[in-house]
Amino acid sequence: MNRAQKISLTMVITFLLGLFLGVILIVMRFFDLGVPKIAFLFPVFIAGSGGIISITCFKKDKGAITFDERDKLIEKNANLAGFGAVYLYVIVMSFLPIGILGEEASIPVTWCPVLLIGAGFCQAFAQSIAILVQYGRRDKDGGE
Amino acid sequence: MAENNLNNQIRRLRFENGEMTQEQLADKVGVTRQTIIAVEAGKYAPSLPLAFRIARTFNVSVEQVFQYEDSQI
Repeated sequence: MNRAQKISLTMVITFLLGLFLGVILIVMRFFDLGVPKIAFLFPVFIAGSGGIISITCFKKDKGAITFDERDKLIEKNANLAGFGAVYLYVIVMSFLPIGILGEEASIPVTWCPVLLIGAGFCQAFAQSIAILVQYGRRDKDGGE
Repeated sequence: MAENNLNNQIRRLRFENGEMTQEQLADKVGVTRQTIIAVEAGKYAPSLPLAFRIARTFNVSVEQVFQYEDSQI
């Protein structure tokens, strides 16, 4: 497993953990279990911790050559997947308030930064999944 | 629909050239070991320059390393 795979795996795990905690907090808040709004920063921090862990824990791969044409191709495809995911995310999140609240309703201005942060997570998650899928699909056998 | 298959003789050629390891071949042609594994397994079609570098490492032509099959499915 190379550095890109380790980083991607960490990002996916931390993102899913953050998402899980976020859902739990939303459910707790729905049932009025006394969850303060500030508590929602915790799952965001957990989801974002993948990047911090990756920078601090995963050093450069050993060996003279650590990046070649195949890695470049995988990275390019992953970037494309990330861009596509963000594009879809922005479309869905832009129309979601209209679909749920109706055309005459209003939304808080905090929706915009939330949308931006979500887009960042969406891009990182899609990119990580694309990297894992591409390496995983290609590296299953043949190693000595 | 046409399916493009690229077969290769890298594994055989490695063993015929002093049982060269994937790591050694990777270092000689300037790629990672993972890429050699993927090329050998037919999961990644190398670029033309890489194909030439692999062939030259074994002192054979590109056609002796890679065989292209065009099959209909």
